[in-house]
Amino acid sequence: MKRSMTKLGCVFFIAGIYISSIAPAAASQTREIRIADSRGDWGYPNPYRHYPRGPGYIRMSWVFDTLIWKDQNGYIPALAASWSYDPGKMTFTFKLNPKATWHDGQPLTADDVVFTIEYFKRHPYAWITVKDLDRAEAEDRRTVSIYLSRPYAPFLSDIGGTMPTLPKHIWKDVENPAKYNDPKAFIGSGPYIFRNFDKTKGTYLYEAFKEYYQGRPRADRLIYVRSAKPLVSLATGEVDLANIKPDMAEPLRQQGLAVIQDERGWNKKLMINHSRSPFNDKRLRTALAYAINRQEIIDKSHRGLAAPASYGLLSIDHEMYNPKTPTYPYSPAKACELIESAGYRKGPDGYLVRDGRPLKIELLSSNITVAGERVADRDGEVIKKQLAAIGIQVDLVNMEQATTDSRVKNWQFDLAVSGHGGLCGDPRMLNEMISSQYGAGSVNSARYDADPELNRLMEDQMREMDPEKRKAIVFRIQQIYAQDLPAISLYYPDSMAAYNPGKGIRWYYTKGGISKGIPIPQNKMSLIK
Amino acid sequence: MRKGHHIGLVPAYLLAGLVLIYASYILPRLLPGDFVTAMYSSSHVALTADQEDQIRAHYSHGEGFSRFLVNLLTLNWGYSYAFLTPVSGLILGALPWTLLLLGSAHAISMFFGFIAGVEAAWRRGGYLEKAGVGCMTVLEGMPEIGTGVALLLVFALYLEWFPPSGAETAYAMSSPLGRIWDVARHLVLPLSTLVLAYFPGNFLLTRASMVMVLRAQFVQTARAKGLPPARVRYAHAARNALLPMVTRFGLRIAFMITGALVVENIYSYPGLGTLLFNAIAMRDLPLIQGIVLFSSLLVLFINLALEYVYGWIDPRVDYAY
Repeated sequence: MKRSMTKLGCVFFIAGIYISSIAPAAASQTREIRIADSRGDWGYPNPYRHYPRGPGYIRMSWVFDTLIWKDQNGYIPALAASWSYDPGKMTFTFKLNPKATWHDGQPLTADDVVFTIEYFKRHPYAWITVKDLDRAEAEDRRTVSIYLSRPYAPFLSDIGGTMPTLPKHIWKDVENPAKYNDPKAFIGSGPYIFRNFDKTKGTYLYEAFKEYYQGRPRADRLIYVRSAKPLVSLATGEVDLANIKPDMAEPLRQQGLAVIQDERGWNKKLMINHSRSPFNDKRLRTALAYAINRQEIIDKSHRGLAAPASYGLLSIDHEMYNPKTPTYPYSPAKACELIESAGYRKGPDGYLVRDGRPLKIELLSSNITVAGERVADRDGEVIKKQLAAIGIQVDLVNMEQATTDSRVKNWQFDLAVSGHGGLCGDPRMLNEMISSQYGAGSVNSARYDADPELNRLMEDQMREMDPEKRKAIVFRIQQIYAQDLPAISLYYPDSMAAYNPGKGIRWYYTKGGISKGIPIPQNKMSLIK
Repeated sequence: MRKGHHIGLVPAYLLAGLVLIYASYILPRLLPGDFVTAMYSSSHVALTADQEDQIRAHYSHGEGFSRFLVNLLTLNWGYSYAFLTPVSGLILGALPWTLLLLGSAHAISMFFGFIAGVEAAWRRGGYLEKAGVGCMTVLEGMPEIGTGVALLLVFALYLEWFPPSGAETAYAMSSPLGRIWDVARHLVLPLSTLVLAYFPGNFLLTRASMVMVLRAQFVQTARAKGLPPARVRYAHAARNALLPMVTRFGLRIAFMITGALVVENIYSYPGLGTLLFNAIAMRDLPLIQGIVLFSSLLVLFINLALEYVYGWIDPRVDYAY
């Protein structure tokens, strides 16, 4: 009996040593980076299968390279070592990096770029528009020229910096790209090779592409894990990088983690139904702007960890931000004056009435925040109280997000608290978030087409290739938008991430956001340069 | 006669199954909003009206109920809109983790809840029983979200005894033995949370029914015969207190799929609850239909099976018909 107990003890002891020896051995061989994500699944990382959200694009961006890319200072070379624009011919010419190859060892040539543009014309990739591109031609093996059919100002941002390049030798026979589920569908030219996506666990595994043309990536393995509590995961060393709530910054700094903060590229916004009474009247929309005390929302709902937004939509950190954009300092008196000029009078109960009918509206609330995360806030309650103070009765409704979205899409609302990013990206974003011509499918677009000058300016800014002239147009768009107020930008929540500096990798937020303005600090260049 | 009664049950269950299939077909379709709105309308991609129509046409869900039924019977459960992979594969991928977490939570809390309930009833009026009932009543009132977060903070963040999230270390390059150890370590906290949530109910239920049974004359007879107390408790009395527990088990199966959603969320534990929750948020109709159908058929099947188990545990059930 005693002997068998001793034997059993030995077995456990040896097993214990064996198990404990695995972990350190594995750690020294593989230098890996683990990134936490609160949701987990963002689709398979190729252009046709990732979810149309920032985190989905980022997962794809490790595998597929674009012609150019961005770091914290602006555009940098990627597949294209250099590029130029000929205004006479309306042509962009890219000289490809001669070292660039696909993950399967095939060289990457100008033909692949030409093919990619043709393929996206046949099978659209929703992130980019190729309809203003006339054609692409391979000048030689490493030089490609892209001819525009008409001037297209966001070219560098959308085509240069967002369009993933596809390998011709793999995709040329693929007729249904969304259903193409072969391992070859993930062969790209990016720094990492896609190895696994576990749909149940929400985890991704990538391995370094050692022959990457910009140098071998610094981490051999890149892993995404799902973690509902990034603070705990970071503090326990389970992950190396995670988005954090701004309140967590100080405790994490004290633990030796590096905390980074993004520019102000995401705004919480009040959507207004300007297509029906009462807010089809500009005076009432202006009254809203005066009646809402944004600083109070920030203080009460976010403990001060946010900044008031520009009424002109573009971020105040954007190089094309118009400093003379109209503002509406908090003034209930001015708000009341405007509402009364529209024929409303205060009733005996203190609420506004016109023609015997009370001014009663519905406010849809939501708790979305930066980078696809969610946070329970009290924005709706604070706004309700502020509007009640000037005599507007507010019915606050908090529903599940997709239900709220579909009501806003169908114009079944008066006011809705919503939010979106991209405010530091290409000013094309203004068109998408203002006009129904560009953003009919977006729940965050004001879909406001009532101002002919604004409509014309939005079209002009898309065709103006001279940055200075475009800037003047964009200035004017912000001004008119802030005067018409088809929606009201409320504030920019502080957007932060924390990482473990012990891994020797410095993560940063990209200037203007990754690609079209994704406010996530997972820039692949952090692991390259 | 008893056999005939059981056979008569089968058509009734088949009919119920058909109703459930129809419910799982039609209910998800009644959700406001659709996949394209949920997926694209607040995304980084602002679609024009044309683009939106094109994408919507791609995901139109026009199949009728008869087609749905035929597909079902030929084991074609459809493709998930979001993942673009077969629904059956997604369900089978999540099921083992749900079974591991919820199956073991139910088994542990039922077994120990039952034993503790029997022992408490036996010691009725003693300090231990009074304290037990008091503690369990308090614990029964504690929501999982409270105990879950408390356990996470104490044992994962401060003591660092157990990992805070996931079902195993993702892509750890360990041996099979190391993997079992890893999975077990990850299971401890979510399992403890669920056991703390389920145990008190089982304890209180068993204790209450056992107290009634212990008053019965046959128990006194058993004692008078001089049988050992443990035999009186378990072989004679406890068997009669088992029936409510089995009924409770049948009812609990219904929560098996989605019941752990809160715990799955706190510990980022994979499972059908999270899969269903995300599918609903994205209006991924085929996946919602698949999971709802799978779980409702499971409940139906377990209940049918329990009809037989009842008769086996307590023959009086069959004679009652």
